[in-house]
Amino acid sequence: MTNTTKKLLQVTDLQIGIPHPRRETLVIVNKASFDVGYGEMVGIVGESGSGKTMVCRSMIGTLERRGAKVLAGQVLFEDQDLAHASETTWKKLRGKAIGYVPQSALAGPNPVLTIGAQLSEALKKSDTKGTIAEQSKALLELVKIRRIDTVMKQYPNQLSGGMRQRVMIACALASNPKLLIADEPTTGLDVTVQAQIMVLLKEIRNEFGTAIILISHDLALIDDVCDRVVVMHAGATVEVGSVSEMTTPRHPYTVALNQSRIDIAVPGSELVTILGNAPSVGQWPTGCRFAGRCTIVQSDCTSGDHPPLFGDRGAHQSACLHADLLKGR
Amino acid sequence: MTHIIEARNVSVTFGSGATKVEAVKNVSLTLAEGEPLGIVGESGSGKSTLARVLAGLQPPTSGEVLFNGKPIYKGNKSYVGDERHLVQMVFQDPYASLNPQLTALSAVAEAVRIHDKCDRKSAEAKALELLKSMGIASMDAAKKPRQLSGGQRQRVSVARALSANPSVLLADEPTSAIDQSAQAQLLNLFRGLLNQGLAIVLVSHDLGVIRYLTKRVYVMKDGVFVESGDTETIFNDPQQAYTKELLASIPGTLGVAARKKLQG
Repeated sequence: MTNTTKKLLQVTDLQIGIPHPRRETLVIVNKASFDVGYGEMVGIVGESGSGKTMVCRSMIGTLERRGAKVLAGQVLFEDQDLAHASETTWKKLRGKAIGYVPQSALAGPNPVLTIGAQLSEALKKSDTKGTIAEQSKALLELVKIRRIDTVMKQYPNQLSGGMRQRVMIACALASNPKLLIADEPTTGLDVTVQAQIMVLLKEIRNEFGTAIILISHDLALIDDVCDRVVVMHAGATVEVGSVSEMTTPRHPYTVALNQSRIDIAVPGSELVTILGNAPSVGQWPTGCRFAGRCTIVQSDCTSGDHPPLFGDRGAHQSACLHADLLKGR
Repeated sequence: MTHIIEARNVSVTFGSGATKVEAVKNVSLTLAEGEPLGIVGESGSGKSTLARVLAGLQPPTSGEVLFNGKPIYKGNKSYVGDERHLVQMVFQDPYASLNPQLTALSAVAEAVRIHDKCDRKSAEAKALELLKSMGIASMDAAKKPRQLSGGQRQRVSVARALSANPSVLLADEPTSAIDQSAQAQLLNLFRGLLNQGLAIVLVSHDLGVIRYLTKRVYVMKDGVFVESGDTETIFNDPQQAYTKELLASIPGTLGVAARKKLQG
């Protein structure tokens, strides 16, 4: 894909921080850049605390509820800059063009509302035709829930984890969004259920052309279902590329992530682990934030700013100053 | 080969009448000394209940469990005598199983003090050593659970379990709540423990982890073992439809091969 094609979403040099009344603003995301094309399935991978959820919150306008805000950069969604949208703009946008499936399937649905009530709330804002009951049923059918009439009257605690996650996906699809963000949608679910949810997401993409952002820390899962991968480390995007390009990673963090994969390891062999922990927010070193854990660190890595993504947008990009050293590994 | 744990025709039933649930149905299992054993299944398959039976936390409704040839349950009591501490358990959610008010060091030191019956000072020294062997530096040992990462918390729980010098470690989904790189770190530590002669029973729904660590595996569904045997054989040539389905669900390379077989 060339960089001249129009993108659905363009995140450029996004910086997110948590302001503090007395101390300096705590920067939690800095230098996050990536695109999502129409109907594309993009995986965001990174350790806990790498900022992947925060980046997605900036797309659904729920940063402020967490006391965070966008400090700089752009989140262009079809020519509209979401990074600096006001709460009134968000009220019009939220739950319409962008759907969101939260991390915890078990805690996601409101426990005191029936599934039917839950769906009708999500449908209130949509402008599609038909009565709310008809639309709700159509949505549940879409996410492959059987015994629809029974389920509509049931409460979340009466459903299994996989069913609840299907309901959450149905709610997110209520307004026929162009982009669906799924934040670790299968954490805590069985592998077989995980496989079914992934099939469902792929079908939604193929049928409606919905672009999907899948957040996960499981590279194998992303490999299976996504077109492109965004790798995040300590609040920055360190590598962006297609799934096939990621088989020859150009950032040492991605190399290490690949090597720690359990599905390609020889049973009983030493697993490669990434040195130490990611630097904590507020304690980022000067220079590359991965330098302290890097196996190919050079003298110029520890000075100046965190390196930007090198390479053309849309092509295979890496934020490593010495990606050449990785060749042949 | 001597069996350190042997379960014979174990059944566990909860409730009665209309709400009766048969969690484990007439299951038999053996664990050899120093053996890495896997129990795999979905939620609700009864694998956690079975692990609790083996750990001495849940008396079976019928059947018996032997530890070194002696039955471990006498009425409602289990592991009578000094064998109780030889089987230790690590739970799924390290955040819920660690006391939020205790630092990592005091959590482990308390366990050491109980098992070794020593004074606080030597308990802390041993605890620090255990934590170090689990990759927790002394700086992190002074932190409370909420200040530690998920992987670190899980390693603290393992250190606490090891404080009893067990010969069997039962780990119930130890990697499901942590990152991929933290998982790799934990599995490396488990491998080290196996080399030291510890037997590990790994209960998980993650077949990748099972394949990596264990030599023998029991596949559990609805309270019974549907298939069991050599881990590699089961991965290469699953016999039961359920096992095939499980394998095909693994994301990544492992699943791809299984999916091809299932379709072809």
